[in-house]
Amino acid sequence: MALLQISEPGQSTAPHQHRLAVGIDLGTTNSLVATVRSSEAQTLPDENGEHILPSVVHYHENGVIVGSEAVARAVSDPMNTIVSVKRFMGRGINDLRLLGTKLPYQFVDKESAAPRIHTTGADVSAIEVSAEILKVLKNRAVESLGGELQGAVITVPAYFDEAQRQATKDAASLAGLNVLRLLNEPTAAAVAYGLDSGQEGVIAVFDLGGGTFDVSILRLNHGVFEVLATGGDSALGGDDFDHVIAEWILQQAKHHSDPEPGLVRTLMLVSRKAKEELTETTQANINIHTEHLQWLGSLSRDQMNALIEPFVRKTLMSCRRALRDAGINSQDILEVVMVGGSTRVPYVRNKVGEFFEREPLVSIDPDQVVAIGAALQADVLVGNKSDADMLLLDVIPLSLGIETMGGLAEKIIQRNTPIPVSRAQEFTTYKDGQTAMALHVVQGERELVSDCRSLAHFELRGFPPQVAGAARIRVTFQVDADGLLSVHAREQNSGTEASVDVKPSYGLTDEEIETMLRASIDYAEEDMQARGLREEQVEAQRVVEALDSAINADGELLSDEEKQKIAQARDKLIEAANGDDGETIKHAINELEAVCEDFVARRMNTSIRNAMKGHSIDEYAAEDK
Amino acid sequence: MTDVSSTSYFDLFKIPTSYDVDLNILQHRYRELQKRVHPDKYASGSSQERRVSMQQTSLINQALHTLKHPVERAVYLLQLKQPNFTMGNQTTMDAAFLMEQMEMREKLHVVRDLEDPIAELETMLTDVQSKLEHYAAEFSLAYDVDAFDNAKEAVRKLQFLYKAKTEIDELITQVEDELM
Repeated sequence: MALLQISEPGQSTAPHQHRLAVGIDLGTTNSLVATVRSSEAQTLPDENGEHILPSVVHYHENGVIVGSEAVARAVSDPMNTIVSVKRFMGRGINDLRLLGTKLPYQFVDKESAAPRIHTTGADVSAIEVSAEILKVLKNRAVESLGGELQGAVITVPAYFDEAQRQATKDAASLAGLNVLRLLNEPTAAAVAYGLDSGQEGVIAVFDLGGGTFDVSILRLNHGVFEVLATGGDSALGGDDFDHVIAEWILQQAKHHSDPEPGLVRTLMLVSRKAKEELTETTQANINIHTEHLQWLGSLSRDQMNALIEPFVRKTLMSCRRALRDAGINSQDILEVVMVGGSTRVPYVRNKVGEFFEREPLVSIDPDQVVAIGAALQADVLVGNKSDADMLLLDVIPLSLGIETMGGLAEKIIQRNTPIPVSRAQEFTTYKDGQTAMALHVVQGERELVSDCRSLAHFELRGFPPQVAGAARIRVTFQVDADGLLSVHAREQNSGTEASVDVKPSYGLTDEEIETMLRASIDYAEEDMQARGLREEQVEAQRVVEALDSAINADGELLSDEEKQKIAQARDKLIEAANGDDGETIKHAINELEAVCEDFVARRMNTSIRNAMKGHSIDEYAAEDK
Repeated sequence: MTDVSSTSYFDLFKIPTSYDVDLNILQHRYRELQKRVHPDKYASGSSQERRVSMQQTSLINQALHTLKHPVERAVYLLQLKQPNFTMGNQTTMDAAFLMEQMEMREKLHVVRDLEDPIAELETMLTDVQSKLEHYAAEFSLAYDVDAFDNAKEAVRKLQFLYKAKTEIDELITQVEDELM
C-alpha cells in the first residue's frame, strides 16, 4: 500500500480518521495515561484493571520491573529499586544532596550534569528510569487503543525549570513517544475542570503532589485558558510529609544512628500509611517490627499537623506571591481547584480554604484530573477537533537571564511572561580588542548568578577587534510553547553568530538519545535505519497533509505559477516517501518547505488580519467589552 | 501584502496609536489573535508551520507586553515617531522630583524596622501609583501635541516610579513571607 493517498492539491481531502493520542501524567508517586474516546476523556487501566501505575522502577540482572511489583521490592532491595525519580530529573549531584533526603542509591558519574544510579542491572540516569515508566504507559495505550500513537502530551509541574523540562522531553523520546506538548500540570487540571463546568472567571489551581507543588492563577474565557501567574516549589510534596513523620518516629523510638536503607523505605511506607489513615481518623497506630527497629506507638492528627505545618505555610506563601504577580485579590477568585494526592490531607484543605476564603473544589479525583486534562489537549493538538475553541496560554515560571559583570544576573525574560516568547538585549565588550565573549545563561529570581540555576555556557567567537564598548552583541532568547529555551548571539557590526539550545548542559544530546535507543532492549531488534526512515515518512505525511489543508483553505493566496511549483515539489516528496531512503525524503521535505516558505508566512499573516477583520479603529470606543 | 512583523503593535491589535489603551479590549483582541496563530493550532502541522507560528505568537506576546506596560508603551510610542529613539542613560534633572525619590529610597531601607511595615509600604505604593498615573497623563498630553522633550521627561520619571513600584511590591511580598 502506498504510504500517501495521492489527491490533487487544492482538492478537499477526505476527513481523516480519528488519530490516537494520549495524555500522560508522569508523577512523583504515581503515573497515569488517559485518552479521549467517543468524545470522553478517560484514564486507561492495565490488564488487572488498575489505572494508577506506581512510579517505581526495579532493576535486576535480567531486566526491569515497573509499577506495583517494583513497589514490593522497595524495602527488600532498596539499592536497585528507584522511587520518586521525578525529584532527580534535570538535577546534578549537588541538587540531590540539597533534597535533604537520605538516598539509598550509589551514584556514579558524580561530576556529570546527569549523575547515574548504580544498580545490579545497569547504571541508569533519571531520564532512563522515567523512560521505563513512560514505556509501560505507552504500551498500555497501544494495546488498549489498538494502534500506533500519533503523539502524547506529557505533563510537568508548572514550576519545573528548563533542565527539568528538557529531561522530561528526553525521557519521552527515549520511550519512543512523539511529544506533542509539555503541558503544565495545573493547566491540565484547569482544562479538565473548566471544560466540565463551563465556568468563566478567574480560578486558582492548588496542586500538591508527591514531590512537587504548583499554584496557578488562570482566567477562563470562552474556551481560552490563560495562565496569569504561577508559583510553587519543584521540591516540595507529600514525600516531605512522610519524611518528617519518619524522623518523628525515629526520635520517639530513640533511634539515633543513621537508619539502614531498607529501614528508611519501611519508615517511609509506614509514615505514608499513617498520613493516609489520618485523612479519615484522628489517631493512627504505628507498628514497626524490623531487624533494626521495633516500635509501637501512635500519631494523632494534631501531631501530624504540627509536623507538616512548615511545608503548608510555604505553599501558602507561594499562593500569595502568585496572586500578587497576577494582580488579583483572593476575593476575585471564583473557585479553588485541588489537585494531587497530598491535597487529601485535611490540614492542607483547611488551610487553603482559609487562605482563599472559600471551600476548595475537590469534585474531580485529584489523582486523575491531570491525565484527563492532558488527554483533552492531546486530542485537540493531534487534530481530532479542528474546530475546537480550546486554547491554552501558558507562562514561564522562572525568569531567564544572562550573567553580567560582577556575577550579577540580568533578567531578559521575566517570570510569568506568556510563551512562546522571544526577547533580545544588547551587550558590549569591556576590553579593547576583545574578539570573543562568554555567555552564561541562568534561570531564577535572585540577583546573584550563584543563587540562580546555571543553564548553559556558550561563546561567541571571532568578531573583529574594536575598542571597548563598541561591539554590539545582541542576545536573543526564544522560549517555545513547551517552555524550552534556545539562545542566539550575534555581533551586530560584523554579523558573527553563535547559538545554543539549552540542552547540552543538562539534557541529552540527540546522539546520546540514539545511543541509548540502540542499547535499550525495546529497540535492539529494530534497525536504526528503519526507524530513521519511518520517522522521515511520518514527517513527509505530516508536511503533505498540512500543505493540502493549507491550499484547500487559502489556495487563492497563490499565483498559478506558485501553485505549479508547489505541486511539483509535492509530487517529488510523495515519490520519495514511497521509496526507502530517509535522506532522499528529508531532502524532498526541505525542497517543498523552501518552495512554500512565502506561502506559510502569508497564510499566517492573513490569519492574523482575518482575526482582526470586522474591527476598525473607529469602533474601538463602542465595542462591547 | 502587508507583513505582520512590520506593522505597529497598535495596528496589529487594531487599536488607536495612543498612550491611552483600553486594556480590556486589548486583552480581548489578543485572545482572538492567539486563537488563530498559537502553536497549538499547528501542533500536527509541518515543522515549517510550527516555526512560523512560534515566531508570530512570540511577536504577538511581545506586542501585548509592550502595550500593557506603562513605561514600555511610552517608549514604544516615541520610537514610532522617531525610529532611532532610545532612552539612553539620560536621567531627569528635576531636582524636586529627584529629592522625593531619594527620600522614598531612604525610607525603603528602614521600613522593616517601623511598627507596621506593611501599612507603610502600602501607603508608599498608593502614592507611587498615583504619581505614575500623573506622569502617564502628562506623557499622553505631551505626546499628542508632539511635544517630545516634555514627553521624554515624563518617561524618565515614569521609569523611576515604575522601578520603585516593583521594589515596593517585592518588599511587601518579602515582609509578608516573614510574618507568615
